[in-house]
Amino acid sequence: MDGLRAIEARVSGARVLLKPNFVEYDPGRPITTDPRLVAASVLALRRLGAAEVVVGEAPGHRRDLQDVVSRSGLLEALGAVDARFIDLNTEPVRRVEPGSWYTRLGELWLPASVADADVVVSMPKLKTHHWAGVTLSLKNCFGCLPGRIYGWPKNVLHWMGIEPSILDVAAAVRPTYAIVDGIVGMEGNGPISGSAVPAGVLVVGDDPVATDVVAAGLMGVDARDVAYLVEAGRFLGQADPERIEQRGEEPARLARAFAPAPTASTAGRTG
Amino acid sequence: MSGADVLLAAPRTGIVAGMGPELVLERLRGARNADGGYGPSPGAPSEPEPTALVAIALADKGAARWLTAHQRADGSFGVVDGPVRDEAATGLAAVAMPAGPARERALDRLEVVRGRRIGFNPAVPHDDRYRGWPWTDGTFGWVEPTARALLALRRFRPRSPRIAEGVALLRDRRSVGGGWNYGNRVVLGVELPPFAHTTAVALLGLRGLDPPLEAEGLRALARLWREEDGGVLSVATALAAFRASGWHDEVASARARLSALLDRSELQDTVADAWAAIALGPGLERLVG
Repeated sequence: MDGLRAIEARVSGARVLLKPNFVEYDPGRPITTDPRLVAASVLALRRLGAAEVVVGEAPGHRRDLQDVVSRSGLLEALGAVDARFIDLNTEPVRRVEPGSWYTRLGELWLPASVADADVVVSMPKLKTHHWAGVTLSLKNCFGCLPGRIYGWPKNVLHWMGIEPSILDVAAAVRPTYAIVDGIVGMEGNGPISGSAVPAGVLVVGDDPVATDVVAAGLMGVDARDVAYLVEAGRFLGQADPERIEQRGEEPARLARAFAPAPTASTAGRTG
Repeated sequence: MSGADVLLAAPRTGIVAGMGPELVLERLRGARNADGGYGPSPGAPSEPEPTALVAIALADKGAARWLTAHQRADGSFGVVDGPVRDEAATGLAAVAMPAGPARERALDRLEVVRGRRIGFNPAVPHDDRYRGWPWTDGTFGWVEPTARALLALRRFRPRSPRIAEGVALLRDRRSVGGGWNYGNRVVLGVELPPFAHTTAVALLGLRGLDPPLEAEGLRALARLWREEDGGVLSVATALAAFRASGWHDEVASARARLSALLDRSELQDTVADAWAAIALGPGLERLVG
């Protein structure tokens, strides 16, 4: 709540979609956004006047979303705050212009709950990523695309180039706010096989690019070395650390060196 | 097929009695669109994958007619037209349609579709001689689309050379210790774990084609479905695989768990419900032959 107030989040009367990261579930690894944070965000956004807050996801690896969201505790957490969960894999879709043309994808198909939301809040886990370097609020938008069109995994996005796809998908989804779960992050071979880092941080921002730049810094990653963040700074938000206004904690004080992903520089087209 | 015909479908299914099975039939009946097809969730426009699965589950001739009417000129079935051309439903549709030119066109299409070749990549060490079938046109081959193609080709084109290639892909991509995830055995030196749902679908496609590989997969599935027992899709596909393979030790407990899940299913997923109906009833025979 303090974080959303600090960034002066404006959600009064809005239909809000929260998009956490539940790409897979493994009880032994911090892969998914903490369900308690998702539920708390629902309550906070309601207090700020949101007309409706729903939570949606279309995981990229596991097709059995019911198993993922029940065993991870997300459904129980949402039940406790009487919030609705939406399976973005099964919703009707709408054609959406991406707003950028880094890939040959052309129009994208977005679930109605994403396309029709007044406010989309991207809620990634703070993780390194073996193909993209880091996976944060922009990369988390991959989980807005339904697998029944893009597959499990959404391999077409990798063939189009993972970084160009991150830009086009994020430009289509246009998340308004970002809340990064760094309570326990992941270092090394993320987004699935890395190791837990109890970082104890949350990053809340009204500019997903700036939020990702700050969150990358918390992992010891210079955003100027993440090509898609640099490019996103040209049209999606602020990528220059010197021009990002910080409220609350000083990021440098909380930063720690996450072990990098094994071959983050070899952005591949598989997997 | 009229609405009344659909209401009569329940007594004909022969599904094992119980509240869960009754509920899934009721949900599937309620999900039928006016055009005869089924969407991925109730109220959503009809699409090939859920329509094919319900056609198999309920012997719904109206759904099979919807498929025939929505086949592309090249024989494939896509979720939507657009720049991303998904055609992973073609194998299921071939099984769901009656014998005839439409099914033959679908099988012809399966014979020519191939996953993209990428060359050997040590980060993801697949044997790229085996290209299999992709989710979307022009991309890499993966486990579930390959298994679906095997389901159709094994039954209706048993001499297709693509069958051996599909089996080889499944052998190459299986997780260490058995079972399958979406299709990556090792990434960057790390062994990736299998999933119940993809393991079960792979086993249905593989049935009778490679007994040692099947046996290994069934042993993995007997463990996996109990770990991933929170979702209808995982448990339903596992039950279908156990029944189809005669793996009787797991059938009763998987059936009981599936019935319990159907009683409290939180998500509206017609594909998962159709798999449940197939797993619990005679639709399994229509699926695997």
